[in-house]
Amino acid sequence: MRELRFLVHLWRTNLAAAMEYRAAFLTQAVGMMLNNAVYFLIWVIFFDRFEEVRGWSLDDMLVLFGVTATAFGLVSMLFGNAFGLSDVIARGRLDYYLSLPRPVLLHVLASRGNAAGFGDFTYGILSFAASGHVSADGLARFGLAVILAAAVFVAFLVIVNSLAFWMGSAGFLGTAAVNAMVTFALYPIALFDSGARLLLFTVVPAALMGAVPAGFAREFSWPALGQLLVGAVAFVALARFVFERGLRRYESGSAIQVEV
Amino acid sequence: MRKYRAIFRITLSNVLAYPAELLPRGLMIVMFMWVFHQLWRATYVSSGKVVMNGLTLSDTMWYLMMAETIELARPRLTAAIAEQVKDGSIAYVLNKPYNYLLYHLSHALGESVPAMAANALLAGATVWLLVGPPPPASGWGFALTAVTGAWLLNFCITALIGLAAFVTEEVSPFLWLYQKLGFVLGGVLIPLDFYPAWLQSIARVLPFAYTTYGPARLFVAPEAALLAAVLAGQAVWLLVLGGALSLAYARGIRRLAINGG
Repeated sequence: MRELRFLVHLWRTNLAAAMEYRAAFLTQAVGMMLNNAVYFLIWVIFFDRFEEVRGWSLDDMLVLFGVTATAFGLVSMLFGNAFGLSDVIARGRLDYYLSLPRPVLLHVLASRGNAAGFGDFTYGILSFAASGHVSADGLARFGLAVILAAAVFVAFLVIVNSLAFWMGSAGFLGTAAVNAMVTFALYPIALFDSGARLLLFTVVPAALMGAVPAGFAREFSWPALGQLLVGAVAFVALARFVFERGLRRYESGSAIQVEV
Repeated sequence: MRKYRAIFRITLSNVLAYPAELLPRGLMIVMFMWVFHQLWRATYVSSGKVVMNGLTLSDTMWYLMMAETIELARPRLTAAIAEQVKDGSIAYVLNKPYNYLLYHLSHALGESVPAMAANALLAGATVWLLVGPPPPASGWGFALTAVTGAWLLNFCITALIGLAAFVTEEVSPFLWLYQKLGFVLGGVLIPLDFYPAWLQSIARVLPFAYTTYGPARLFVAPEAALLAAVLAGQAVWLLVLGGALSLAYARGIRRLAINGG
């Protein structure tokens, strides 16, 4: 509970900081919504030409984009430092967080937020609304699916970026990880064979960020809920384990660091 | 011209000194080629056709290979110019005895050339494994000619967006929008041949089609008429956008205020 209050304070501070430059915040948020909308036009054109591919249609893509974009936006807004964690580690900037009486991982992840994430978050909700699956239980399933998808995504980012403890610099891996997750999450899982699907549940858990939560948001199923819950718990536990093991190897830098 | 060739050579040497940094884009392009193959193989199988809109699965994949080779080799020009304008470091470049825009052109070329070569190698190997050999080498010269014009067009557009930092705080949203319009109207993810006729007509008069679709299409269908049309389109848009870029730069420099400290 105490940590939750701490997180809320961090998020409010991040929002207040973003609002100091209101025009920039709105430009980024609206720009990202436009960006996503134009990108989705590709699927509109594709399904206008081909109608359906292996049972997937435009309606399914609206739900898929809805869940993935909302989850991505949630992580971006609330745990924005997850994207640059390897940089924080490599430059010795964990010193600041280690000296404070708060969980290091939680603090470092939540100490930054990205304004563009608000655009992704809002667009995702609008995309789901446009799919026509909006009802009381549909929204509840959507909310739960987004939270669990976001948990998997942020955990995956922590795991990959924590490799910086061993590699020194893992920025390029972090970038590749984000691209891989988003790319595979935004394509219909029906396209991939069983071997590839195994990869998409484990090595790059894009299925747990895209297809599975999207399926759950469309229609309740115990297997989908089970996969999401097990996946989220497992990846979050693994992320904590990898980060804490890496933290034992961490060496303080000598740079003076100011966190504002 | 010697100084710009020197800037190009220095940048090229810098990039080649750290070849591992080309790896992330290389990994991404391999991943994209594999995902595209999954999508388009399923699409062609669903349709039951070997040729759709004049393209076979192999043509489509080699088209996408060229499109992504170009797209993923684009330099981070907008961010570089915008950061220089916002933090004032543009002052250090302006007082040098070379033209600011030509400096960035030479620098960006030095970054793009090795990236494009690495992309072409990795994407080409992947697509060859997936669908078979590339189109005949007779078309590669056509494609390379068009790629040059495409690169220059993209330079003009992204430099213009970067120079928007003279008037607006945040330029990233404009870059995102350009990139996505390029994806849709430039045929980066789907060849324009699959578009409805009315949308193809619109796309073919806008500059986006000449930054990606033109060279990629020439790679799989090297026709003299198509080459002439692509080069003509690129020339027109280079005149328009090059002129706009020069004007924007001249106005921006007049407005520039640098605070010392």
